[in-house]
Amino acid sequence: MNDERTLKIREIAKELLSKGEIAVFIGYGKGTCNGKARPIFVRTPEEADELIFDSTCSNNLVTYLKFPAVRDEGVVGIVVKGCDAKALVGLIRESQLMREQVRIVAVTCEGVVADDGQLQLRCQYCDVANPTFYDFLVGSPVEDQKPRDFSGLLEKYETMSVEERWEFWQSQFEKCIRCYACRQACPLCYCTRCIVEKNQPQWIETSSHLRGNFAWNIIRAFHLAGRCAGCGACEDACPVDIPLMLLNYKLEKEIWDYFHYRVDLDPESVPPFTTFKTDDRGEFIL
Amino acid sequence: MSEADQGFEPHIVAFICNWCTYAGADLAGTSRMQYQPNVRVIRIPCTGRMDPLFVLKAFERGADGVLISGCHPGDCHYGEGNYHARRKFAIFRKLLEFVGIDLARIQFSWISAAEGGKWVSVIEDFTNRVRALGPYRAYQEISL
Amino acid sequence: MARIGVFVCHCGENIASVVDCERVAKISASLPGVTYATDYKYMCSDPGQDLIKSAIAEHNLNGVVVAACSPHMHETTFRKAAQQAGLNPYLCEMANIREHCSWVHDDHEKATQKAIDLVRIMVEKVRRNHPLEPVRVSVTKRALVIGGGIAGIQAALDMANGGIEVVLVEKEPSIGGHMAQLSETFPTLDCSQCILTPKMVEVAQHPNIKLYTYSEVENVSGFVGNFKVTVRKKARSVNMELCNGCGLCTQKCPSRKIPNEFDRGLSNRSAIYIPFPQAIPNKPVIDRDHCIHFKTGKCGVCEKVCGTKAIDFDQQDELVNEEVGAIVVATGYDLYNISMDQPNDKLEGYGEYGYGKYPDVIDGLQFERLLSATGPTGGKILRPSDGKEPKNVVFISCVGSRHNAKGITYCSKICCTYIAKHGMLYKHKVPDGNAYVFYMDVRTSGKRFDEFWRRAVEEDGLVYLRGRVSKIYEQDGHLIVKGADTLSGVAVEVEADLVVLATAIVPQPNIEKLFQNLGISYDEYNFVTEAHPKLRPVESSTAGIFLAGACHSPKDIPESVAQASAAASKALILLSKPELEREPLVAKVNEATCIGCFYCLRACPAKAITEKEIKNRAGEVLRKVSEVNPSVCTGCGTCVSVCFSNSIDLEGFTDEQIYAEINSVIERMSVIQQ
Repeated sequence: MNDERTLKIREIAKELLSKGEIAVFIGYGKGTCNGKARPIFVRTPEEADELIFDSTCSNNLVTYLKFPAVRDEGVVGIVVKGCDAKALVGLIRESQLMREQVRIVAVTCEGVVADDGQLQLRCQYCDVANPTFYDFLVGSPVEDQKPRDFSGLLEKYETMSVEERWEFWQSQFEKCIRCYACRQACPLCYCTRCIVEKNQPQWIETSSHLRGNFAWNIIRAFHLAGRCAGCGACEDACPVDIPLMLLNYKLEKEIWDYFHYRVDLDPESVPPFTTFKTDDRGEFIL
Repeated sequence: MSEADQGFEPHIVAFICNWCTYAGADLAGTSRMQYQPNVRVIRIPCTGRMDPLFVLKAFERGADGVLISGCHPGDCHYGEGNYHARRKFAIFRKLLEFVGIDLARIQFSWISAAEGGKWVSVIEDFTNRVRALGPYRAYQEISL
Repeated sequence: MARIGVFVCHCGENIASVVDCERVAKISASLPGVTYATDYKYMCSDPGQDLIKSAIAEHNLNGVVVAACSPHMHETTFRKAAQQAGLNPYLCEMANIREHCSWVHDDHEKATQKAIDLVRIMVEKVRRNHPLEPVRVSVTKRALVIGGGIAGIQAALDMANGGIEVVLVEKEPSIGGHMAQLSETFPTLDCSQCILTPKMVEVAQHPNIKLYTYSEVENVSGFVGNFKVTVRKKARSVNMELCNGCGLCTQKCPSRKIPNEFDRGLSNRSAIYIPFPQAIPNKPVIDRDHCIHFKTGKCGVCEKVCGTKAIDFDQQDELVNEEVGAIVVATGYDLYNISMDQPNDKLEGYGEYGYGKYPDVIDGLQFERLLSATGPTGGKILRPSDGKEPKNVVFISCVGSRHNAKGITYCSKICCTYIAKHGMLYKHKVPDGNAYVFYMDVRTSGKRFDEFWRRAVEEDGLVYLRGRVSKIYEQDGHLIVKGADTLSGVAVEVEADLVVLATAIVPQPNIEKLFQNLGISYDEYNFVTEAHPKLRPVESSTAGIFLAGACHSPKDIPESVAQASAAASKALILLSKPELEREPLVAKVNEATCIGCFYCLRACPAKAITEKEIKNRAGEVLRKVSEVNPSVCTGCGTCVSVCFSNSIDLEGFTDEQIYAEINSVIERMSVIQQ
């Protein structure tokens, strides 16, 4: 059964493709695994009928936009949910994408589900159910925008002792096989030469060993601080189930507490680590 | 602290800016003030140069405590580098705390070229604090 | 292959009394990469330096570590010595075993071990040092002065007399600034115009000064030694070549009811006007907002009466480009707006004093015009409302200044002394009049200023009342000034004929746009921030841009002139060299790995980073990367720490160097027993 959004997306994709306004349309199609949608690239109006949208459309398609090979095809049409749109705006904000390189089909979204059919954790904190950055808006307005208040989620860890937290995270990072799927899946991890691949000097050890695993996971999270769109792609991609979003949420919370900054849908907003205020809090400084 | 750690002397790595804190440490010297010899200084031009990677690497290499020190707000030789550092480390230390790093092992300070006495007291207090904490075994174990 | 020499200095007893220098040298010799190590009593002495030089030659050293005092003390000395021996000076580093070791530790063993560690750390760093050449920047031997008040005039004249071509830009139709409006100057009571106009004439006639009046700086790009400046010459509607300044047009102009800015609204002027009799240039300008021709298309009287056909109604703004090597900012001040809309919501104004409501409540500059022989009253003290001579005049200090709640927090500095002057000059002109001064403190610091205000009280009989005025209102043709005398603890009411408010000194309105354009820092009030409050007071935060006068903070004339001459000499120093040589400790971009997120560009305090296009052979842009201008980079390294892929690095403090230092800092710290 197709919901309204599916039909509308097909219609827009067809029109854009037949008018030649875009070279490729990135959307969701029927998947082969548990009925879960999968990303598809549509290049002809006919293929547009394969497009769908439903609550299994969890992937962040914006990730594809970080690859030059995709951008080189020409103008790209793309389906985004609010969280995905934050990532897309991030790419524009950080000069990785020009606004005119994309035709954005934003979808209002009541949340998407994980493989187990449960609502994704991130959807419980969604403040962009009705995206505001698009060329086309699909779907009727969703009513409740949720507060991005992670305190309940983080409390369990924040109230642990230092040793407990260390044990918890070591037990997580220990699993890391350094596949870098988190990085590949992240729409904002777009460096062509990641810091972990820099070998003169090799700041982060590359072997799958506690020391390097720790540094890698910390630095990956910190490099996304003030930038992470909260799309959950990293955690979804992690084959060993490291709760990476906990780190991302923690950083988002602290950046809000310290600088009152939150990733939004405004390409002009200033990333927190490129600026400062003379009265920024420095309570930790002697 | 376990018995094995009796007589433990901590390794303190200090990243300090060239213009204020380094000069403050010089002043402590020219004033013949005394402090414990555990600290090893790495001179950087400005705390703005301070990359979080330096802290992780110092712990990996066996530091028991890491000090970062620069110019007071408004005094930066380059105008703004220390403001960037303050922002970065406000958040980075929160992240470290969240993953189980003991923040008592990291100290940030503003020490001007005129504050030789402050350099001494920061070093003394930090060295004593880290000595009381004992060797940073947790980090050293993952670094083996 | 590293061939490093380590030179351990005893500094007489300063190091050697605590640190076993011989042992440090001996252990240093065994460090990887070290070819030669020795110790010596005084490494900075001539024989000590010769020791280093000959070792460099003899052992073909490609790196030097001098373990001695602080690099702040002798880095230059030893780098020069290395250079004289044919080694690139940037391959020489110092290990600080005196200030950071022997002078602060008394345990010989631990201090010696620490010295060994410090040497090892530096050896590891030097192994990764690069030979560097100073950054050389060519210099355009011209200067720009922004603002033609006394500060700008002084700076322009000094530089012009020093042989430098100066471009002087003034936004008003004449140079002269606020000083031209003043009557007499404290504490000597010189006639302001008499001492200013000769300087204005000198500017006009100086072969090295190119004067743009009625012009504004539109854009500034470039960097120290090489600024590119666009100046907007506003349309004057008068052809300056043809006009002979006869002034007939200004007499015949039928539109005559325009408040005269120079007299601060105390008189009227015509639509075509010369701002004041001694104006430079002494040629008119048409105020298009008030000119009948520009409003209705009719009139044109000036055009008809002009014998030289100089009136040009079709004149357009003109943009001219100038290249200069140095800039002096001398944009001056304005008076705090006490009655009308405030520039920001922190300021509340002083409605209770009735400025703007009662014509006989005026500000200090208006009173200057009443005192001035060229003013609207010919120098007679006649109050604006009815032209009568006021017998009771109240002066109120700190209107807007030093007021956290509704004004600005700082002291405007010049008011206390000019109030004394105002009262004194008033008493000279109206000997039977009374002058009252409400004040918070009297702050007349300056050479002979305190004597001056005491003279005002003791000889001229000014009455000083310590307290704030709460309210001014009109009653039976008088202004009732309600205040308090906090010294006697009584409420005071003065029946005044004229009230003069010493309103706060503030920067020119909207001046921050110019400062942003120049890339210089300014404070929360829009005063320019100096590079260092003590040691670099006339330099801005941006190399090659200097500051003079009240754009920096409230100042009197001698201070403004002194600062202007200081700024001029700083600029002359800069421009006296054929090219600038700067430390090559600057950032560099790895273009192969830079992804062009421009975090570095945003974070750079020196604004040294720009976008660079990488093109293919066909000229198509493939991608954009960051580029550092080494002439502008100050070497703080903030860019490096914000770069996710570490694709930008800082010479002298590279990632590799710091990594090596961290790596070696602890490894063999054997002395401290675990």
